[in-house]
Amino acid sequence: MPSIDVSTLLFLLSDGLLWGFTIALVALGLSLIFGVMGIVNMAHGDIYMVGAVLALYVLEWTGNFWLSIIIVPVVIGLLCVPTERFVLRPFEGRPAVTMIATVGIAYIIQQVVLATFGGMHEKMPNPWPVVINLFDVGYSGYRVLIAVISVVIIIGLWFFLYKTSYGILIRASIQDKEMANAMGINSNKIAMATFALGGALAAIGGVLAAPVTQVFYLMGADVILLCFIIVIVGGLGSLKGTLIAALMFCTLQGGMSIILTPVEAKVAIFVIMILVLLFRPRGMFAK
Amino acid sequence: MPFKDSGQGLRTASSGFREFKSRMSNKQTPFVMLAVAVVVILIGPFLPPGLRSLVIEIMILCIFAMGYDILLGFTDQCSLGQSIFFGTGAYGVVLAISYLNANLWLALIIAVIASIVLAFLTGLIAVRLSEAYFVIITAIFFSIFYLLSLSMSWLTGGDDGISITVPSLSLGFTELSLYNPLVNYYFAFFFLIISYLILTRVVGSPLGKVFISIRENSERTKFLGYNVFRYKLIAFILAGLFAGLSGALYAIRLRYGSADFFSFDWSVLPIVWVLIGGTGTLIGPCIGVVIMSLFQYYVSAWWAQYLIIVGVLIIVILRVSPKGIVGYIRSRKGKVKEKG
Repeated sequence: MPSIDVSTLLFLLSDGLLWGFTIALVALGLSLIFGVMGIVNMAHGDIYMVGAVLALYVLEWTGNFWLSIIIVPVVIGLLCVPTERFVLRPFEGRPAVTMIATVGIAYIIQQVVLATFGGMHEKMPNPWPVVINLFDVGYSGYRVLIAVISVVIIIGLWFFLYKTSYGILIRASIQDKEMANAMGINSNKIAMATFALGGALAAIGGVLAAPVTQVFYLMGADVILLCFIIVIVGGLGSLKGTLIAALMFCTLQGGMSIILTPVEAKVAIFVIMILVLLFRPRGMFAK
Repeated sequence: MPFKDSGQGLRTASSGFREFKSRMSNKQTPFVMLAVAVVVILIGPFLPPGLRSLVIEIMILCIFAMGYDILLGFTDQCSLGQSIFFGTGAYGVVLAISYLNANLWLALIIAVIASIVLAFLTGLIAVRLSEAYFVIITAIFFSIFYLLSLSMSWLTGGDDGISITVPSLSLGFTELSLYNPLVNYYFAFFFLIISYLILTRVVGSPLGKVFISIRENSERTKFLGYNVFRYKLIAFILAGLFAGLSGALYAIRLRYGSADFFSFDWSVLPIVWVLIGGTGTLIGPCIGVVIMSLFQYYVSAWWAQYLIIVGVLIIVILRVSPKGIVGYIRSRKGKVKEKG
């Protein structure tokens, strides 16, 4: 067991917090999709995985990692539009059915990646090998960088949702879909755009995470678990709750790793989730 | 409500003749079942070994599927965590035999009780939540148990699993070895029949009527004074019980248990079975098991990525016929009757 001193603890906590911003991106996508369309997206982790895999391919073809931050989300977003229109549209608003349908999509994505990319773990070279001194410990500069990028994207998302007219339409659909329809909002278009946006957010998460984790066709499973816990605790469809819960849980997970193994930390988080649910069955910030 | 069975409407809107006909067809069902059972019993010794082992597997999984139908088809709770109970049943048997040296019946009882207790505990938390939260939380439960079963390899053997020597089956007057495939065949068949009889009994009882009323309109059921939470919990436990029993039999058939019993496939497959065959029909899910098992057996041999087809299949079934094959046949029958 490592010795517990304050600087180690602070280091682990801030490591968790920084990672929390990237996870928040993915979880916000999940929460947004549920809020607007009533879809419990089981394929979200796999979209994240595809983001990471595509980042590898972009690196291979162009030799430049940074391009993939732009290219991959656009590609995934464009793929999400027909998926929503032709596969998920009839099921929207029925969580259990959408969940089964997206499990089907998840199977398809996983197996296609397995057939094309293969089943091995790939390690991506660190695109920004800078070491930063964080509480007297050498810390990967890239991890700080992805946190900064994630924060920028979250602020951009906030700006989009709260300051632009299109964002107002999306939030109106989250609050009351029927009323939004009655006011003349084309909710089909909104749903399509939201699904693309949510998918793109997961893809960005995958791209950013690719150099710090191993790229593997089942890598989405870990993230989807954490995201579901976050979304449940934050309150389904509540964006503010999702963001707060993401940061809180990742920081906690970082802090707990000082005494617990990763699996034990996951179980501990799971126990916390159950405690929250016992007292607030609809999450902390539910509408 | 997503999984409504429109066949209900037919029964209530009754003209005398139609009622009589439907009652007649209801009377036929036991005879059809009896005929199927007799065929299965007689055909046992003449099946080639490969096919016989497939039939054993199908019979075991039918128990799982029928139990899940109580949950999804009768109370409209879509759980993605059913592999928890399947795995618990399997490990109940494996651990009881390897650590406690239990005989077969004791091991089975331990396995079933373990899954009932676990279903009760998880159900207490999950069942009271609303639909979206329920599906997500069962998925989270599944993930945690899978993670634990993989990491606690000192107990579960992890991916490699634990092999067991199956004790012989004592029937009081004689001892039979389950290593004889024919004994295994009738052993599985015995449990299938018992499960089927219990479940048809449950469905036909007042309890089953309450389940259906919860599916059709849980708000109104609540107004009528039923404790909806308690009945949903009962359904959850029933499904967990039969999943556990099925897992236990499956582990006995394979003579080992591994973390794979907790894997995602065992959570998704029940949904696929029930959806293919038809929700709320008990027999439908068994048809689903037969179709999926044959499909897996033959297709997975020549195409490793056969799960793509499963994925496509799930989406297509949801689109084309949410009531599954049996539901489709029934609705066709209903249409014909209305015309005639």
